[in-house]
Amino acid sequence: MERRMNQVPLFSSAGELANMVITSNLIDVALAKIFELQRGQAALPCSVQPMVYDPTPNEPNRTIVVFAPSPDSTQYPLPQGGDLVPYPDFDFLCTKECPSVSINGAALELFESLKNHLSVLKTELIARDGQLIITGHSLGGSVASLFTLYLLDSMNKKSKCRPICITFGSPLIGDFGLQHSQWNSFFLHVVSNKDPVPGLFLTSSHSQTTAYKPFGTYLLCSELGCACYDDSDLILKLLTVISSEVAGGLLQVVDYGEILRNLKKRAICKGRWLAVERFADPFSAGIVMELETIGIDWTKHNIDIRRMEAEARSLAMKTKAFDAKKLNDIKKYMALLEWYKKRSKDAGKGYYDCFKNGEFKRDIRIGEFMGHLNAYWEDMVAQAERKPQKEGASFRTSWLFAGTTYRRMVEPLDIAVFYKDGKRDYIKKARSQHYKLLEQWYEEAAKPTTREELDSKKQKVSVLLTEDSCFWAHLEEAILSCKSLTNANSTPELRESSGNDLVKFGEYVMEQIENYAVSPEIFLKDSSFMKWWGEYKAYITSPSNPCSSRFIEFIDFMKTGRYGVYGRSEVAA
Amino acid sequence: MGETVGKLIGLNDEVISPTASLAMEAHNSHSKPFLVKKIKIRHDHLSVVVLAFRGSMLPNDWFGQPPFRETKIDTNKFRSLTSLNDRGDAVINGSFFRRFNTVLEQSSLVKEVKKAVAKKKQVVFSGYSSAGPIAILATLYFLENLEPNQILPPRCLTFGSPLFGDQIFGHALRREGWSDYFTHFVMKYDIIPRIMLSPSSTEHEQILNYFKSKFDRKTINPAPPIGFYLTVTGNASSVASYEACHLMGCRNPSLDIIKSFIELSPYRPSGTYIFCTGNGNLVVVKNPNAVLQILIHCAELGESNAAEVEKRSMDEHLAYLSELKECLGMQDVVSLDGGPAAATLNDLGLSPQAMLCLQSAEEFENGRSRNQYQIRKNKDKIEVELGKMRKYKENSEIRRVGYYDSFKLQHEDDDFHANVSRLQLAGIWDEIEETLKEFEVPDDFERKKEFIEIGTEYRRLVEPLDIANFYRHSKDKETGAYRIISEARPDRYLFIQRWLEHHEKKPFGSRSESLFWADVEQLGIDIKKKGYLQEIEDRIHQLERNLIAWIDVDKSLDKDVLLENSTFVKWWRALPPQHKPESDRIEKLICDNEKAAGL
Repeated sequence: MERRMNQVPLFSSAGELANMVITSNLIDVALAKIFELQRGQAALPCSVQPMVYDPTPNEPNRTIVVFAPSPDSTQYPLPQGGDLVPYPDFDFLCTKECPSVSINGAALELFESLKNHLSVLKTELIARDGQLIITGHSLGGSVASLFTLYLLDSMNKKSKCRPICITFGSPLIGDFGLQHSQWNSFFLHVVSNKDPVPGLFLTSSHSQTTAYKPFGTYLLCSELGCACYDDSDLILKLLTVISSEVAGGLLQVVDYGEILRNLKKRAICKGRWLAVERFADPFSAGIVMELETIGIDWTKHNIDIRRMEAEARSLAMKTKAFDAKKLNDIKKYMALLEWYKKRSKDAGKGYYDCFKNGEFKRDIRIGEFMGHLNAYWEDMVAQAERKPQKEGASFRTSWLFAGTTYRRMVEPLDIAVFYKDGKRDYIKKARSQHYKLLEQWYEEAAKPTTREELDSKKQKVSVLLTEDSCFWAHLEEAILSCKSLTNANSTPELRESSGNDLVKFGEYVMEQIENYAVSPEIFLKDSSFMKWWGEYKAYITSPSNPCSSRFIEFIDFMKTGRYGVYGRSEVAA
Repeated sequence: MGETVGKLIGLNDEVISPTASLAMEAHNSHSKPFLVKKIKIRHDHLSVVVLAFRGSMLPNDWFGQPPFRETKIDTNKFRSLTSLNDRGDAVINGSFFRRFNTVLEQSSLVKEVKKAVAKKKQVVFSGYSSAGPIAILATLYFLENLEPNQILPPRCLTFGSPLFGDQIFGHALRREGWSDYFTHFVMKYDIIPRIMLSPSSTEHEQILNYFKSKFDRKTINPAPPIGFYLTVTGNASSVASYEACHLMGCRNPSLDIIKSFIELSPYRPSGTYIFCTGNGNLVVVKNPNAVLQILIHCAELGESNAAEVEKRSMDEHLAYLSELKECLGMQDVVSLDGGPAAATLNDLGLSPQAMLCLQSAEEFENGRSRNQYQIRKNKDKIEVELGKMRKYKENSEIRRVGYYDSFKLQHEDDDFHANVSRLQLAGIWDEIEETLKEFEVPDDFERKKEFIEIGTEYRRLVEPLDIANFYRHSKDKETGAYRIISEARPDRYLFIQRWLEHHEKKPFGSRSESLFWADVEQLGIDIKKKGYLQEIEDRIHQLERNLIAWIDVDKSLDKDVLLENSTFVKWWRALPPQHKPESDRIEKLICDNEKAAGL
């Protein structure tokens, strides 16, 4: 605990961010259009008809789309309650933590009823250049959020439209969280502490209470001021508090126009606050001041300020400078492993065997490098998995190449550790999820090899890494099979199955060789592979079953010593 | 305590009052673009020449399109007002800049200043209200063009000046060590120093028109405008909150998105600010982030005095002379450097939230010093790796293979070790560059000799290896050639090169010796592709001249490029003779180098 004394002080910027929003005219613009639509809306047939306000000479780069509920649904929002309905059309939001997506029934019904119209609108808006404000009040805001998600999914790098979704007093819309997605930064939800609607589904009368997850930034406000939060758990807590304190106020209509006018005045007034002296550190002082400003009694509702501080501290670590350093460290560890690989090759053994046998003194440090690399890549994979599918995919394309090199370099070492301990069946029992995903993503992105590429691989195979990072696991299994085959105590059944496995392994190796997918280092004099071959070749005398041509080819390749020229480009040419 | 204003800003106290008077007089002058006055100081043989500029309250001389009248500064006139990384040139208010240019070109300003400097006098430029920015520009102009015999740099005093330059502007001033030459007096509620934080509007015109009629004295008791305060200070508050988010380390990803939807003023304070609290006290602040927060928060409304504050915000712009007279008599001065002390800030009437903002501004400065300290500590690590690199280079030379070629081949253990060192160093320098881009080290970092020196050595020693790595993997096919500014070249080298060029006052690109190998490689590739076009011939000739200059004249390139077996010598010797205009001199260099080794 005394370490905290020496730590750099932290600050909470929730109040300043909210102040910046309030004193700019961003939400005025959105709210003014909502009011404009509501005034002229009586004649519209649908209760949440979207309205597009095109750019004007004064605002040539700004399009505004408004979803405003009819006066009726403002007063009686969402009578159907908080039921969550699975909605496969939004499966693009799925993440590892949220494998399927459910959406509030009432919001979904409205969204579905407008979908034909919205699909056309979406295509048209994406083609535009400039700011795009999508906004709505209450249920209208829910549909605005859904429409924004729908739009974000269709955008790509070339899209020039820059969307933001601003809702006023909208209820939560679904069970998916977007904490780890960039998408959540496009959402700003304005909520008054007098408004019962946003926390509507969080009161105990609804069974699915815990399933709803807020996403985006919430600007919470009271008569005294406002503050912005993006921590999903905290928002959920604050919304619950607000809804419990306005219980029974369902008929009350909150006038966001009046609230905004008041907040603008408040923003240039000196805040009244009494509790400064109670907190020595600025972070707690700021948090408490912000909570009091939005009308929350933090002691009564048991809000954990230390947890918030710990979270803020870990976020403060993640700077660009920190990332730059880390990335170069990772490159450094890879270079060190490459060097180890070269040394091992010069020793006639290959880095897999050197590491497994602990040949050199520096092998101890290899474990340390592996640890850093594994931690880094496990984290990268986990980050990709927490994002919605499309975003995750584009996130990982930038590093999939580096990730593949890492997998081919490091996984053999993990395999070595596994078999050194005398265990069996690495691929089924011990292979880490991140290797599986890295391989899966690589396979998905890979294109079939062309003739020219195969030629160039043939030229370069001596410097390439073995493509199948599980090659050594297959070999270790083959070594064990070979033992069963040669062991006098083995049952005939075991011998037969072992023999079959070995044939399969031979075919597998030949296929790798034909594709120049395996490093010639496996043929080094003292490698496990050559030892295996030395034992096995004596036992392949009687092919009881008809053998595949590839297996025969393999035996020939090994017996005639053709492997000696594999990977020597000058001989091959 | 016991400090006087003069001591805090490094100017004799007797200068301030007369300067303020002259600034007021000059602002409303109808005939002259500036007034000149000599001030003799008692007990000191130094005398001071004050130049004060005329002002203008015409809206066109303040605002226009774009909404903040922002424009890039002319770096031909003001070569230092730029960032040395990728943050571009300083942005300033174009209207004031235009007025300054008129004064510079059409008046005897330069002559007057030269005259004063020749007589070894200290020059003080000053301006009240809209003449403030003119005084700032004049000071900068003469700082950029110091006379060779000038001992005392020019100084600048402004009174109720509007904001004028952006963050880069202030950064460049502080980097050059000029910031302390600028002192700005601001009354607690004066609207004019805040007005540029809000986009031009009808409210602005009303305010300027009111002051114009006050100064012109044509109308008796003109009615001050009302109802502008909410808009003008509201926009200013938005800027202060945005900066506070930054100071407080806001990690909400929505911040950037929201920022892209709103138009914030680019202008930020720079120089030393002296706030007149209205009860005779003065508060001196140098931290630019703290100045901005005070500027906004001290003018906030209290419980019920909105109309009164609005009126004061107009009146106080007219009250500098009388207020300064009182303050300078009392000399009740408090300096804020070293942290906000609650008691001293009572006079400014800051709220608890404002105090947190100030604390974060101070903490941000501390963070910058900590970062610099950390980098200094890392210098040892850099030295160790550079030492290994030097050894690598020497060993390669002993084997008569340049380290460039050896690294490109990657046959030896040493090459692997060098690669690890290269990556280690890249990590440290990339971290430094990211910190610089975010302005998270003190502003004068890039001018510190220790960093320029170690950076330059790093660049000359290690960039060739990055180039070797680049062409070894034929990366030019993916990203294009490795040039001075290109996707291929890591930013760290470009920035370090600019530090040196700036330090030596040399044009951009003149210190490209670390790119020698890239020029060689790329020429080889381009000749194969295109043959001997005129453009290629020019490039070969340029390469030859560079080589001679770098090796022979300033020794910024080492002779290992001349080894008989180097990629360069082999390539160059294979060129047809008609394409080698400097053939004789370079042959001689190669031979001399071989002979020297033979001895």
